[in-house]
This record gives sequence, structure tokens and C-alpha cells, in this order.
Amino acid sequence: MKLRKVTALLLAGAMIMASLAGCGSQSAPAASSSGDAATTSDAGSSDAGATDTAAASTGDGMVFEIYDAAANYQGMQTGWFQKVVNDRFGVDLNIIAPQVAGDAIFQTRASSGNLGDIVLLDATDFSDCVKSGLIKDISADLGNYPNLMKFKEQIDVYNQGLEGNAGEIYGIPTEMMDTSPSSYSQDVIYSSPLLRWDLYKELGCPDIKDLDGLLDVLDQMMQAHPTNDAGDPCYPFSLWADWDGGDGMLGIANVVQLTTWYGEKLRGSMILKPDGTFTPLTDKNASYYKILKFLNTAYRRGLVDPDSGTQDWNSACAKMGAGQVYLMWYSWQVGFWNSQDRLEDGTAFIFIPVEDQNYYCDADAYFGSGRVFGVGSQVDDAKYQKIMEFLDWYASPEGATFEHTGIEGFNYEVNADGTYTAINTNALMDNLPVPEEYGGAGYNDGNNAINQWIVSSNSINPNTGETYNKEYWKSWKEATMTQMKKEWQEKFGAAEPVEWMKKNNKLVISPNVAISLDSDTADIAVIRNQCNEIVCDYSWRMIFVDDDATFDATWDEMTAQLEGNGFKDLCDFDTTKHTKELEAKNKYK
Amino acid sequence: MNKRKIRGYREFLYIVPFLILVGIFSYYPLYGWVYAFFDYKPPFPLSKETFVGFKWFSYMIDNDIKRKQLGQVLMNTFAVSGLSMLFSWFPMIFAVFLNEIKCKPYRKFVQTATTLPNFISWVLVYSIAFCVFNSTGVVNSILTDLGVISKPIMFLQSSEHIWFKMWLWLTWKNAGWAAIMYIAAISGIDEELYEAARVDGANRIQIIFHITIPSILPTYFVLLFLNIANFLSNGMEQFFVFQNNFNRQTIEVLDLYVYNLAMGAGGYSLSTAIGILKSVVSIILLCVTNGISKLTRGEGFI
Repeated sequence: MKLRKVTALLLAGAMIMASLAGCGSQSAPAASSSGDAATTSDAGSSDAGATDTAAASTGDGMVFEIYDAAANYQGMQTGWFQKVVNDRFGVDLNIIAPQVAGDAIFQTRASSGNLGDIVLLDATDFSDCVKSGLIKDISADLGNYPNLMKFKEQIDVYNQGLEGNAGEIYGIPTEMMDTSPSSYSQDVIYSSPLLRWDLYKELGCPDIKDLDGLLDVLDQMMQAHPTNDAGDPCYPFSLWADWDGGDGMLGIANVVQLTTWYGEKLRGSMILKPDGTFTPLTDKNASYYKILKFLNTAYRRGLVDPDSGTQDWNSACAKMGAGQVYLMWYSWQVGFWNSQDRLEDGTAFIFIPVEDQNYYCDADAYFGSGRVFGVGSQVDDAKYQKIMEFLDWYASPEGATFEHTGIEGFNYEVNADGTYTAINTNALMDNLPVPEEYGGAGYNDGNNAINQWIVSSNSINPNTGETYNKEYWKSWKEATMTQMKKEWQEKFGAAEPVEWMKKNNKLVISPNVAISLDSDTADIAVIRNQCNEIVCDYSWRMIFVDDDATFDATWDEMTAQLEGNGFKDLCDFDTTKHTKELEAKNKYK
Repeated sequence: MNKRKIRGYREFLYIVPFLILVGIFSYYPLYGWVYAFFDYKPPFPLSKETFVGFKWFSYMIDNDIKRKQLGQVLMNTFAVSGLSMLFSWFPMIFAVFLNEIKCKPYRKFVQTATTLPNFISWVLVYSIAFCVFNSTGVVNSILTDLGVISKPIMFLQSSEHIWFKMWLWLTWKNAGWAAIMYIAAISGIDEELYEAARVDGANRIQIIFHITIPSILPTYFVLLFLNIANFLSNGMEQFFVFQNNFNRQTIEVLDLYVYNLAMGAGGYSLSTAIGILKSVVSIILLCVTNGISKLTRGEGFI
């Protein structure tokens, strides 16, 4: 009897440990899975020993505090990337992540006068911080750093756009590319209709005319396969509300994203139409209304997951991973389903064009993707020196290779002609253990927690002549040429989705410009927040109404509510704000 | 005389630490109220912001739609607080009945089982609610299997009876905890009263109505009055986790409204202004209830 109790207790303990370990490997790189916990600590101590000598000459155990708007992890950088940085500079990176700690940390840190040693912020926040004196002027020293100077043009253009700037340099834009501001060099775009190839083929690859045609196809898919292999119900649409109002766009994030299928793009409260004019979100002829109507029709035909309004992002992810969703629209969403095996047996998601659509995409981020690196105004000279060296390395081919490609011998091998071949391609997805010599621990645990780059992954690596991103390597394309891809190419007569769009004139490329946009005044911030809440509340209800009359009545109620909350002021503000940007873009037309 | 003076000083020193604590944690934060009178926006320090006087106070009510919105928020607050006040006798009756259970292990079990939910955070309560009530959850599965419904009912998505549902969740979580006070009061009742009643031939119901309940009524009133003073603050966690785009209009109570405003997009000044109004009204409510208490019971509680 007693023995039983003891075993039960032990089992319970083990279960708790296991569950804790499960959490740990995702959120905190420090606590990797329980299995290799011992090796991790070993690695840590041997690391420290190895770098002691290096530290004496370089960083002296210095710690960079990085205020990082892009990070999903808060705390010290660990694992292989920590070793890479420590071997070269003898510094440790302490990541402060508002996405983890909450946006209030921005307010508290800003009011203390020291945001961080290195700051990475969205452009509007950045220009505010420059104004309030939180960012250091680096113009005197930038010339000494060759890798940063490669982006001199972009850095200058960005900094000249800062209000009242007289030649100072504060910020370094992120994800810059070396192509041109109006070209698009990727194979897929951020948002387009993605369907399961096997289900589509089963229906005989019908041509899809418009959104109703798309619903017909999805309806038939659902009729044919109402559940996944595990017997859970499948729906073409599974939405989530977590990101509503994000990225500076009012309204339901999912709806907002679909408006790009008709060449339109939200800028705050305004919709930018393909002809270069603005119209308010509340315009019944614009795409926001159209897409809401589309989702409502889908709901009435029973194609929308009934949990859509109340589930969170994690539940939505779980459903995507379990194959319970038949339509995807973000390019990265396929990552939850498309594995090498599924690409080979043809059950993966791929772009299927809808005839009347015209896809919007942002051009290559020649001038940067919107976030900006800067140096905190409070750092002392020694540290400042070190930070600039670090940022220069961060923008160098060697740094970019570590950031985008990984470790030589672990993530890639060098071919005879100098190009690379990817190995261990599941390293990130499965958090593969990294050998001791590279820093140990899991690959994902030790991955670069800064999570934002100065050089875009689609830039050309001068050492190989190919992009940093492995998906565009010759070796990778050969390896991933599948039966499914061949069938797709045959049907649509193009090698890749973007090639098809360009051929058929279905791609609206919005040129990349470096304009620093006005930040909201206190009044506009309040109005924006309240209007966003109103738009989201009513939009969600509109998706789930049962007839047209209620749909339109709800829409009218929404516009009335918005009117009373100062929507007009917001529209005026956003129009002025984004017209500046639009004018700059039109120069490339 | 001198000795008494020294003793006075010494005794004053005893409470100095508490005075300092109260000063730091209760009065110093009131300094934050100045944010309501500026156009505050991080990262700029207050010294760089413009003073706007009572702009944010008038902003709340400067047109019909906003007045209606604020009215709706107040109505939600009043409804939720009112419901819990209307049913405030529930924990008391629960404690009385619990006390009547003669089998001690069973009584202890019921008491523990009803107290435990109090220690579960609202976030977990919502996870439980989501698991039980989502489209493929226990309730919908059972109802579908029984053939009662053909399409899952979206319990969490409807805004119908939301105030009552919120009260049910609150009661499930809090009833056992709230009863503890009454159980303590009941155990303080003089045994002789019960014995005397039994000698006089009173039955169980009569004992409850003539001895137990009158004896714990003072406790009930003190708690009720404290509740009235807290009328405007029903906390935000519960409503925060249960809010969604379908029920926000009817679930948004004052505390949640302030939170959504400030944390949503940095409407710090406006939410501070609302917070100030709330504090002022709460103080008035407290004084009023104290006055009522003085009138009805002959003694106040502050």
C-alpha cells in the first residue's frame, strides 16, 4: 500500500516536471527539455572558461541591454548565438521585450531616461524617442564601420526624414535590401488564397472566378471531408481575434489582410486603393465591407469555425497544425502544415488564383521594413564603441549568415563551388540539440533572440552569390522539386506564384519608401483606440449574423457609433499622415 | 508629566512605520492624478507635455454617443454590483445551512470544495469555461449526442443574460470564501441561547430564524455596507477574461473600461480622469452609507 503511494507521488512529480519542461523549451531558452538540462549547464561553464581569455581583450563581461520591439523572448541570450557573440565581442545580450513584458514597459523605461543600450523600435516610436533625447547621435562614428556604410544611402534617407534633422544620424533601418525600392524578388507574397492541393485536385482543379466561386470550392471540400484523420471537425475558415487593430490597421486583422486580395491596403483608418486614392474604412464600396460580407456569406453557408470569435491564437494554431482548416491566407501560415513529406505526397497548401483578384504586396524593403535600430543616449564611451562594433558585425555577411542561415556544419555545408546546401532543415521546428562545440542546448532555444535584422534574408550573400534565405538556393530548389509542384506549374504555366501574378498582371507592388510618419497626438490615440474597438466589435458581430438586413443595420450602427467618437478627425489625420508616404511612393511609378 | 510626554513620543514612534507605509503606498501615488490634466503621451516626460486643464473630463461627455457609451458602462457596473448586492444574503444562508449539517466529515468536505475555487485565478476559470462551453466542449457534445440541438450553441459568444452569468461565475468562485466570515460569526453565538430555545421546544427552522440569523445579521450589515462603498469597483479580471467582441457592450464595467482605454492605446490621461471621478464617487458613497448605518444601527463603521 505504502509502495503504491510512493510510486503515485513519484509519477505525479515526474508529470509536473515533464509539463514544466514542455513549457520551458518554448518560452525560456534557459530551461531546455529536461533530457539535456545537464549538458546545457556543462556547456555554460565550459563556455565561460573558454571566453574568459577573449573577454579580457574585448568586452570584459559587458552586457548590452537591448530594448527590442521585435523580440518574443525576454531575458539573457543563451545557447549557440550567445556563444557566437561572446566569442567575438565578449558581451552578453540582455533582451527587454515589450511583447512579453507589456507595452507599459515602454512608458516606464522612457520616463527613467534610459530605454536601453541598443534600442529597436517601430519608426514612429523611434522618432518620438529621438525628440525626447533618448537616442544617441552616431553621425561622427558611422563612417568607421564598413558594413553599415554599405547602407549609407538608406540610413541617410531615413535620418533626413526625421523632424528637424540637421544632419545627425540616429537610426539604422532594419531588413534593408540591395535590389531596388520598386521590385519584388520573393516567390510568394504575404497574403494570397492558399488551398490544399490534394483536395483541390480531387475536385478536378476547377477555375475559380470570384469569392463566391472560392466559397463553392471550399464548400465542396468540406462536404467531401467534414473531419480530419483524427475525426475532429474541419472548417475552411478558422479566425482569431488576438491581432485585431495591430500593425497600425483598424479592424479585424484577418479581414484587413484579405483586403489585399483586391489590391487595397489599410493605412490606419483609411483604405488605400490601387488607383492611389484614399477612402475611409466605412466606405461600402471598398474592400473592408466586401470581405466582411464574404465572411458572413461563408458563415451562413456553415464554413466558418463557430469558435472563431472566442478562440485565441494558440487554439487557432493547433487547428491549423491538425489539418482542421482548408483555407489559409498568410504566407507563413503554411508553416504549420507544409512539411517535406506533405509536399511530396501532395497534401500541402499552395496558392490557387481567383480570377477577379489583384494582389497587393509591399516591395522589397530597400529602405527597410519599418523598424529602426538606435543606440541609447546614456551609454558611456567604451560601451558605445563596443555597440557600434557589434552592430557593424550584425550587418556583415558573417553576421547575416549566422542570423539567417545558421551555423556552418550544422545548418549548411559548403559545396565545391562555394554555394551552400542546407542540412538539418528541421533544426528550428524540432529544436534539435546543437553540438557542444557550437554552444550546446537546443537550436531554437539558442536562436538569435533579437529577432530582427539589419540585412534582409533575401539579400545576396557576397560569399556565395545566393541569398541568405535557403529557400532560394539552387540546391534547395532542386531538393524541393516535388510532383505536386510540377503539377501546379503545368496547370498554371508559371514556376512560382509570384511569377504567375506578374505574368498575368495580377500584382500591385507598393514601392518601399523611407518616410517617418507622424505619431498620434494624445487625442488621436484615444480616438483611434475607441474607433478600433467599435470597428472590431461590430465587425465580429456582422460575420455571425443570419440575414442581410441585420448585417446592414449593424454596419449602419457601427458608422453612427464611429461618427460620435471622432472618426472623422481620425480619417483626416490618417489621410494627411499617409499622403506624405503615398507621394513618395508615386515617384517610383 | 515629563515621563508621560516621553511615553507619548515612544508610542508615536511605534506607528511611524505604518504612517510612512500609508504615505508611500496610499498617498504618494495620488500624485499620478496630475496626468489627467495633461496631454500625456510616452516617451515624453510630463515637463514637455501641454497642460490642458479639464479637457479630458469634458471629453467624456461632449456628445450624445459618448454620453450613451459612458451610460452603458455605468449601467453594466451598477447591474453587476446590484446583482451581487441583491444576492448578498446567499453566502449567509449557505453558511447557516452548512452549519446545520451534522455529519462533520461531510460538512468539512463541502466547505473545502466550495472554498477552493476562490484560489483559482480568473484566467484559469476562463480556460475551464472555454473547455466546457466551446463548440466541441462537454456541454455541446452532450447536447448534440442527446439530439437536443443540431448546431452547437455558442455560450461564451452571446451577450444575453451576461450580467446574471457573470454573477453565477462569481458565486461559484466566491460563495465558499464569503461564507467563512459567517461561519466564524455562527461559532461565536452563545450555546446557551440554543439550549434555551430547545428547552422551550423550538424546532430546527425556528432556531435558525430566531437565533442564528438574528445573531449574524450585524456581520451581514457591515459586509453589505462595505459592499455599497465598493459599488463602483467590481474588479476587472473576471470581465477582462470573459470579454469578447460579441459581449463587450454589456460586460464592460468601469474598471475594465479604464483598463481598455489606458492599456489599449495609451489613453493614459483620459483613463486617469475617469479614475479620479470614480474615486470621488466612491468616497461619497462611503460617506452616505456610513450615514445610513449611523441612522439605522446607531453606529457608523468608520
